[in-house]
This record gives sequence, C-alpha cells and structure tokens, in this order.
Amino acid sequence: MPDTAVQLTLQQSVEDVLEKMFFLQCVSDPEDATSGPEIVAHLTFEGRPSGSLTLSITARAARNVAADFLGAEPSDLSHQQVADVVCELANMICGSALSRIESSTTFRLAAPQIVHPAHGISDREVSGSESHPADSAGGRISVSIQTETSAWSAAARYAF
Amino acid sequence: MAYRVLIVDDSPAMRSFVRRVITLSGFELSTCLEAGNGQEALDLLEREWVDAILTDINMPGLDGEEFLRRLSVDELLRSIPAIVISTDATQNRIERLMSLGARGYITKPFLPEALRSALEATLGVPCA
Repeated sequence: MPDTAVQLTLQQSVEDVLEKMFFLQCVSDPEDATSGPEIVAHLTFEGRPSGSLTLSITARAARNVAADFLGAEPSDLSHQQVADVVCELANMICGSALSRIESSTTFRLAAPQIVHPAHGISDREVSGSESHPADSAGGRISVSIQTETSAWSAAARYAF
Repeated sequence: MAYRVLIVDDSPAMRSFVRRVITLSGFELSTCLEAGNGQEALDLLEREWVDAILTDINMPGLDGEEFLRRLSVDELLRSIPAIVISTDATQNRIERLMSLGARGYITKPFLPEALRSALEATLGVPCA
C-alpha cells in the first residue's frame, strides 16, 4: 500500500477517534507551532504485517483530552488516569487504522505502554508528509505507524 | 424499567467512558458493574445478575473471545445478551464473535447513540 494512502488512512483514523470519542476536531496549519513536554504511548500489533504504532501528545493536551474523555476537571486527574487515556487513544487509533488498511486480516494488538519521550516521533519522521505541525489552544498529536516488513508506514502530526 | 449492565474492559479509562456515555445517552441504567477481564466478570456473575454485558476483546488473562465461549456453555449465563466493543472491525473477527453468541458488535470509535441503540435493540426496549 503506498505510503500516501496509509497516511490518508491514518489521518482519517485520528480524526474519527478524536471526533467521536473525544468530541474534538482537528485543525490544520496554525501558525504558532510550539512544543512542550510530551507523553508518548507505544504499542505493537501482530498480523500480516506485524508492526507498531507510536503516539506523542503534548502533556497539556493529554490532560485536557483525558478530562473530556472521563468527564472530569483536568486538575482533578492523576498522572495514571491521564496515561490510561493516552494509551486508550493510541489503541483506538491503531485498531481503526489497521481495520481500514487491511480489512480482511485479523490483528492482535498488545496493550499500549507509556514510554520515555525520547522514543517519541521526530520532526524528521513527519516532514514531507501531509502533516500539520502545530500546537493550537487544544494541543498537538503525532502518530507514526511502522511495519516490520516495510509493507507500509506513515507518520503524521495534527493539531486540535 | 431500568437495567443492570456489566462492562468488561481492562482499561479503567474505557470502562469509565462507557459508563458515562450510557448515562449521558439517556439509557435507563440502574446499576453499572465493572470487571477488568473475562475471569473477573465470571466471578462477579456468580453473585450478581445483569441484564446486559458490554465486553472488550483484547484483555489480559481471560480475553473477550474466551469469555463469550464460557458464557455460551453456561445454561444460566448464556441468556444474558453480550455486546462486543472493540477497535477490531475486521469482518472475520466480527463473524467469529457473533458465532460465539455475541448479540451485537460496536466498533471503536463509536458515537454515544450507537451504544444506546445497540443496548436497546439487544434488550428489546421499545423505541421512544
């Protein structure tokens, strides 16, 4: 599958999950691209092909989306609650993308894990893609999907 | 009539979200029980009765597929309708779980109305 098609699928999955489960809409190309501490979730999947997905989200945005998801105030949430929601976000985006890319293959997704920010997604990975490097009032999210056989891969960044 | 629902998911965040969505959707909920995997759910069902079960598939320990299989061979428990909530939208997976006795299948991400509709259809709740 061409990378551009995978990229489009990844984008659709991110938008679909954010809209339906977090009631957020992606925006494109805000001018003020800022960065900050990020929370990174990583999960592997087995199937044909096997691979992994990495999701990075700015820490402030992670707390806000967790609050939306759980119906709580951002300041009331523990680090663990925020981490649980980021892992669930990665899980849903991965499952959604895989089902769109390989609809006839059954994949087994491992439980997402929070990893060190050093394992996040670099600017180099998302450059040249149809990404939107930005950090709006909501936040920034980057998603990268890779397969061990290089059957397909893509990385993208969104603001919401 | 208000219903008793059991949510089976290893993610506390997802269990919390599903419970909140059911409540916000206007579904008549009297009690919402939770379990972290299939075995916890079976243990809970030994002492609690529920009207419907919402279950994930990928869980540590007893996963959703084996949980449905255990429900299907239990004379009492197999009468409780189970709805799968999963990110896996592949057709062969859906068919396999429906053949194991699932009465509904909701793919994540989903809209709150989809969850309410699935519960009401499964429980035979008349349309408002």
